[in-house]
Amino acid sequence: MNSLKLRTAGMAVSAAALSISLVACGSSGPAGTGASADSATMWGLTGGDQPVFQASVDSWNKAHPDSAIKLDFFANDAYKTKVRTAVGAGQGPTLVYGWGGGVLKSYVDAGQVDDLTGFLKDNPDVQGRYLPSILESGVIDGKTYALPNNKVQPVVLYYNKEVFEKIGAEPPKTWDELMALVPKFKDAGVAPFSLGGQSKWPDLMWLEYLVDRIGGPEVFANIAANKPDAWSDPAVIEALTKIQELVDAGGFINGFSSIAADSNADQALLYTGKAAMILQGSWIYQGMKKDAADFVSSGKLGYTPFPTVEGGKGDPANVVGNPSNFWSVSSKATEEQKKTALEYVKDGMFNDENVQSLIDSGAVPVVTGIEDKLAASPDKDFLTYVYGMAKDAPDFTLSWDQALSPAQGDAMLANLDQIFLKKITPEQFASTMNATIGK
Amino acid sequence: MASTTQLPTTPAALPQPVTTRRRPPKLGRSRPNFLGGLGGWLWLAIIIVPVYYVVITSLKNQAGFFTSNPMLPPAEPTLDNYKLVLENDFAKYFTNSLIVTVGSVVPALFVAFMAAYAIVRGKGKFLSWTNNVFLLGLAIPLHATIIPIYWMITKAHMYDTLLALILPSIAFAIPVSVLILSNFMRDVPNELFESMRLDGCSDWAMMWRLALPMTKPAVITVGIYNALHVWNGFLFPLILTQSPDTRVLPLSLWTFQGEFSVNIPAVLASVVLATLPLLVIYVVARRQLLSGLTAGFSK
Amino acid sequence: MSATTTTPPRAPAAKRATDTRRTLEKGPSGWLAVPALAFFMLFAILPLLGVLFLSFTRWDGLGEIKLDGLSSWNTVLADPVTGNALLVTAKIMFFSFIVQAPISLLLGVFTAASQKYRAALAVLYFVPLLLSSAAVAIAFKALLDPNFGLGPGLGLPLLAQDWLGNSDLVLFVVVFVIAWQFVPFHTLIYQGGVRQIPASLYEAAQIDGAGRIQQFFNITLPQLKYTMITSSTLMVVGSLAYFDLVFVLTAGGPGYSTRLLPLHMYLTGFKANDMGAASALGVILVVIGLALALFLQRLGGKNRNASQLEGA
Repeated sequence: MNSLKLRTAGMAVSAAALSISLVACGSSGPAGTGASADSATMWGLTGGDQPVFQASVDSWNKAHPDSAIKLDFFANDAYKTKVRTAVGAGQGPTLVYGWGGGVLKSYVDAGQVDDLTGFLKDNPDVQGRYLPSILESGVIDGKTYALPNNKVQPVVLYYNKEVFEKIGAEPPKTWDELMALVPKFKDAGVAPFSLGGQSKWPDLMWLEYLVDRIGGPEVFANIAANKPDAWSDPAVIEALTKIQELVDAGGFINGFSSIAADSNADQALLYTGKAAMILQGSWIYQGMKKDAADFVSSGKLGYTPFPTVEGGKGDPANVVGNPSNFWSVSSKATEEQKKTALEYVKDGMFNDENVQSLIDSGAVPVVTGIEDKLAASPDKDFLTYVYGMAKDAPDFTLSWDQALSPAQGDAMLANLDQIFLKKITPEQFASTMNATIGK
Repeated sequence: MASTTQLPTTPAALPQPVTTRRRPPKLGRSRPNFLGGLGGWLWLAIIIVPVYYVVITSLKNQAGFFTSNPMLPPAEPTLDNYKLVLENDFAKYFTNSLIVTVGSVVPALFVAFMAAYAIVRGKGKFLSWTNNVFLLGLAIPLHATIIPIYWMITKAHMYDTLLALILPSIAFAIPVSVLILSNFMRDVPNELFESMRLDGCSDWAMMWRLALPMTKPAVITVGIYNALHVWNGFLFPLILTQSPDTRVLPLSLWTFQGEFSVNIPAVLASVVLATLPLLVIYVVARRQLLSGLTAGFSK
Repeated sequence: MSATTTTPPRAPAAKRATDTRRTLEKGPSGWLAVPALAFFMLFAILPLLGVLFLSFTRWDGLGEIKLDGLSSWNTVLADPVTGNALLVTAKIMFFSFIVQAPISLLLGVFTAASQKYRAALAVLYFVPLLLSSAAVAIAFKALLDPNFGLGPGLGLPLLAQDWLGNSDLVLFVVVFVIAWQFVPFHTLIYQGGVRQIPASLYEAAQIDGAGRIQQFFNITLPQLKYTMITSSTLMVVGSLAYFDLVFVLTAGGPGYSTRLLPLHMYLTGFKANDMGAASALGVILVVIGLALALFLQRLGGKNRNASQLEGA
């Protein structure tokens, strides 16, 4: 009797629990304008693109209250650490922000992101709007897993024209000119180069360009292909040696290894005149346009390609950086979320409004047929420069830390940091990195 | 906790908090100690300069920060930075921190108190084994287990919830809580328990009506100690949560640092705001807080 | 471990057991300890076994966990960064101890005295206790900035060093910031210890004509023996846990100069995504923690306070 009662009670409880969970499942209907727990989610990066993504999603949510998107922003370094943890936990966002390359491949290998090849086939308009070479960066083993979502990001050598005028110097065209400028700026009490060394990836821009100028893009292609001893290539050794010569000459600002690029402190040193030059991505133009509007609009900001190296094999028009950032669609998202995400990618992204707001923010969208719009922008000098740089580059090498596997990328950044600090020699760097090949 | 009926009233039997048990040594009665005084003021300077810098900088505007002398107070103090921080969901992070702290400390105290009572009053292999497990736990560096904890939390679908922070926080607060509580509980005279027992009280009643009031200073100590740890904890939130909805204050400081980019005054305003609640508690309850901590660790 | 740790608490318990057996039928039920034990087993002991298990696997945090024998251990033990992390950890442990211990002891004695101004100073001394490691690290990062921080502000070139970017200096800066944050806590412990020293000892010494310094060495120091052991254990074992402060302050840099063992584990696991190797590092961390606790336990001797010093 008693046990029977208990059992009935237990059944009632579990039935109640079941009905609760059923209700919970069935409630994913219209969610009003506010994004609900079932909405598609999107994580973006703080900084230059933040208002652009925000505006785009806001207007999407206004027009599509039934399939609203919830958008959150993270700082770059924090994002890179956390997104993987979240994706690994199966709780990443519906739209995963990425850079393509080795990190994307690891998501693909783990089955965490959806194959978008079919989506592109069904939507030729989407396929057609991108610059083809950039679309290619989201392809792994012949299938598309990531679609470009913002702007081309070549690495550019910026300089402070005012500081250059003060000492009567011209931006360097060759490595020797660059080295010759170092003592001049130092005598004038200005640091030749700003560098966000604590973030480590800005260090990498130096290595990427130098290796390309000295040995051409094949050198890194070999490394990325995991060829044995690829890091011992003479071009890598020479590039590292040149970096250490520049460090020895006092080329980088005092305290560079404690400056975080994440906090934009590196670019602040350029526009406050404490440093004459900085090698950074095209995206810092957006940041400076916001934080130092006068400096940019009064034409004090100069930009130039990375200098050539005498006797080097690389084409001076070659570019390193990020072809774009990308959206991938999480395989763990619900069908509803995926549908919303892809509809946004199709109609919400790179519509006229979005393209224009990207251009207004000081960036070059990765779509075709925007020459007129770029030319009409107040930032047309910089934008057409960047657009031309990306379009005319015989080779556009993806940032190495993104191209390689995460384990290799991390080891590379840590060891490169050691090079800048002169804790290891170029040969030690090469042998340590050779040991990571295939990891 | 309201029942005080069974409380013994003989003052001699009551263990007093250690701080009041003995008079402090009257070291200063003789000639003044100049060297000691000098050292004392020097250390004060070391403590105060960073605090002063944080406060004055948080009152500067960004342009002022780059151009003014970093150690001088701003010519035109502004609260804009505080406004900016408050507008950036500060209240939400504060609430999250509060939920996690209360949600961890209260259950931890509850289970640890029961365990301490059982360990001190009870006997048998099981309890002494339990005590050993907790002692062992004190020597485990918390960080070492974070990877399996991350795995467990994701498998339990608790990743990015406040519960993901609360559960391991409770577990890691238990060993030190049991240790301090049981040390205090041993000081409760056995006769009191016996007389209650003779009155027909159960262990459950003795625990709440005798042991708890008698070890109140220890309970407060343990509560404060754990609350400080959980409130200021960084590793669990860093690894086990993700979205702004579950962000707690220490993590928000770290993210503010990225989001406000070069706006150092705003970053430091967030530091001030995150510390303010504890500062208020400190000002209000300084005596209990300090004597509680002293009692717990210098016993 | 168990032999030494259980002796102190068991001695009084056993005595009480014989006392109470005469009057009481039985003590409280062991069930009262079960909730605490269950929590602790689930979220501390189980993960502890988990970390050992994971150290024999290969897992990138995304895909499947695959058994992989000793390969993670081989990676970790062959990696010079591991040795460096151990060295950095040992250095920070050593230097923080020799900086913090004397300062906390002296400040504890200083604040335990009865003068009003000392009590007032003590109120301010304890402010760092309230700040989170993240807050402390962010504040010092701004303060130590070579271009916008304290040095240029005071116009003292000596203070305008590249504190966090110079790999020879940064370790000492970290030690200093750790001391800034943790000395107040240890001062509190010593203050409590000093206040427990019976005043009669000092009175007797004064009658004998002992000076302040003699009193300090002949009475204060010996009387503080167990306080010192407690505080030292907390300091030493605690230095295995300086993760958040260093993570926010230097992220282990520049280079590897402040990459402590726990930080190295975190970066290996969550940045390089090698959870197997990170777990092996976790096991090393646990072994060191246990060994240190055991060692200090021995040092403490068979005193009642011995159980206290486990309070790491």
